[in-house]
Amino acid sequence: MQRVAITGFGVVSPIGVGREAFWASLAEGRSGIGRIGRFDCSTFEVQLAGEVKETIELPEEIAGVASADPKVGFAWSACVEAMAQAGLRELNSRTLLHLGTSLEVFDLSQVVREGRPDFQAIADPRPSDGPRRFQIPLDTAVRLIAARLGRPGRALTNCSACAAGAQAIGHGFRGIRHGRWDVAVCGGFDSMINPLGVGGFQLLGALTTSNDRGQRACRPFDASRNGTVLGEGAAVFVLEPLEKVLAEGKEILAEVCGYGSTLDAHSLSAPDPEGDGAARAMQAALDDAGVAPDAVAHINAHGTGTPLNDKVEAAAIRRVFDGLWDRIPVSATKSMTGHLIAAAGAVEVGACLLALVRNMMPPNPSLERVGQGCELNHVTGRADCFEGEYVLSNSFGFGGQNATLVLRRHNGSK
Amino acid sequence: MKRCEVVVTGVGMITPWGTTAETSAEGWSARRAVGRRALEDLRDTSFAGAQVATLPEFDAAQRLGERRMLKFMSDAAVIGCVAAREASTQAGLKGRFRPERVGLYAGAGLAAASVKDSYPIIRESIDAEGRFSCRLLGSRGLASTNPLLSFKILANMPACLVSILESVKGPNYIFTPWEGQTASALEEAWNAVADGEVDCALAGAADYPTHPSTYVFLRQSGLLCEGEFPAAAAAYLALERRETAARDNRPILAEIGEMSVVECNDGPHDPLSALMGRSFAAAPAVLLALASRTEVASVFVSGVDGQAFHAEVRRPRCNA
Repeated sequence: MQRVAITGFGVVSPIGVGREAFWASLAEGRSGIGRIGRFDCSTFEVQLAGEVKETIELPEEIAGVASADPKVGFAWSACVEAMAQAGLRELNSRTLLHLGTSLEVFDLSQVVREGRPDFQAIADPRPSDGPRRFQIPLDTAVRLIAARLGRPGRALTNCSACAAGAQAIGHGFRGIRHGRWDVAVCGGFDSMINPLGVGGFQLLGALTTSNDRGQRACRPFDASRNGTVLGEGAAVFVLEPLEKVLAEGKEILAEVCGYGSTLDAHSLSAPDPEGDGAARAMQAALDDAGVAPDAVAHINAHGTGTPLNDKVEAAAIRRVFDGLWDRIPVSATKSMTGHLIAAAGAVEVGACLLALVRNMMPPNPSLERVGQGCELNHVTGRADCFEGEYVLSNSFGFGGQNATLVLRRHNGSK
Repeated sequence: MKRCEVVVTGVGMITPWGTTAETSAEGWSARRAVGRRALEDLRDTSFAGAQVATLPEFDAAQRLGERRMLKFMSDAAVIGCVAAREASTQAGLKGRFRPERVGLYAGAGLAAASVKDSYPIIRESIDAEGRFSCRLLGSRGLASTNPLLSFKILANMPACLVSILESVKGPNYIFTPWEGQTASALEEAWNAVADGEVDCALAGAADYPTHPSTYVFLRQSGLLCEGEFPAAAAAYLALERRETAARDNRPILAEIGEMSVVECNDGPHDPLSALMGRSFAAAPAVLLALASRTEVASVFVSGVDGQAFHAEVRRPRCNA
């Protein structure tokens, strides 16, 4: 089995476009959460989100789709940045392209004709209606990336909700480790910051309605947490066999060395109250990496800021790291980025790279008073120094899908 | 790494031919044409006369022994869960394997909620000038919506429902939305069993491309040609190693000797399309399930995503 190196990382996030801007914001504890500007949310109970504010330069055909479905542009931008860092010019038959995302965009306004919902509006659009994009399939980004950057040996779109990005990286890791692919370009992208996305999550009661909290509205593990905040963006990684990368003399950001994937099989909307699925994902990733719990020096928690999820995750971490947890620093970067749903796991692996590349653990700046049952060794305020070797990143999805990745600092030798 | 022989010990299907694996296989073997119906919602559009395959009626609550969960289920989730239950039951999955050692590998089709489900939201969100208004969506439209609609449109929900109903707790992937993605899910399942990552894999797909808006999308995108018709279908297979089937004296339906997913530039090829209709993401799983129940030895389907699925299916050498 081959060791797996990360040779490229690209990111689009509410706290910065591009890895340097993203890492700088994480290090400073800067939040990208604010009032939604993309549509008129004044009558919505939920009025906060982590939006990508910067304008991203896109090729014409991608910009056209991204105008209706911004996440497609995020995926493109992160992919190009990651490939450029890895020195990868194109995708080919020995490349896996695997991205996770969550929900097709439906534009309900396009079903309206003459003041009422009417199928004719989408079936027989008039020239005056302009371009119609009522439904944009989830594989659109992967398809457009392959069309412009070369056809990969396998192009996959993973729809495992909040675990999708981490699953895509885990799948890429396994593919490289077993020699099925020479290169894996993998990660996640998402945006639900549209009227139906925000409205749908509002109806489910998953989002905070404490709009007056502004930048600090997403409060993972805090006693006052009352829901998450949607974010948007993408993160993409290039994975390659370590031996090959060393032979080529390329820069190695870190190694991926373990992946665990489990299902709660409990409920569509709530985690297993015992945290069994989450704990098994962490344990499976550690076993896969051949690493004992006491080797882990930092955890990037899923940490959504919802009352139940954080409590369950904290309990699961305490169970897996029994007798150790009070010494392992835990970050929760959704406090700054919001919850990027299918992109969350990938963006948070990018946050782990801050620790492994720049020796800094990102903080959870909105944590003021630890909630009951959420006791962990939280990193609060500003970024903290990091010197450890192994980092663990958790992603737990709506529907009960759990994914954990273990990353390792690369020390420059074989 | 030593790779083990992978066998099929359970098959479940819902197709326009029938609502079980047996009736579906009978329809396929007899080359029976399936029933079709016109899409009435498109009667006044340029797609007037559009037809889709009809699914025979079945009692999902009775098949699943569960009524409460149905309210969370999209049409695709319902047929996927019923097919998975049939495969799981035939393989005796519950009780034979630790749930943590069973994996779930699924393909999911396009999000296919009926646009009519969203008509109440739209009606409440149209302003005095006849336009869709975000302000009205926030103040009135959302209140008219069933909160459970979100569960019906999230693409991972059909497979997550399978995990809950069949107590599957192991590794998992859900790929979407075309044939090649399901093919990859099946290949992942096959590899996971052969490599010993899991003891059993529940693998399959469900797709429900017969809603009017989906039909319009498929036609406008050139993914469904004139004369072709879409079909809702679902199929799941229980895969395990020969040794566990022998250990537990489970009947082996078929052996999967080879499985691959490759690039294909020759355009879509779906052997089911002329008789049953195009079931897109479900097609590779349906074909593999049919091959496991009939005398078909080789499965080949290529999708609209330019990826082709190939599997070699053998009759069992001996029963367990």
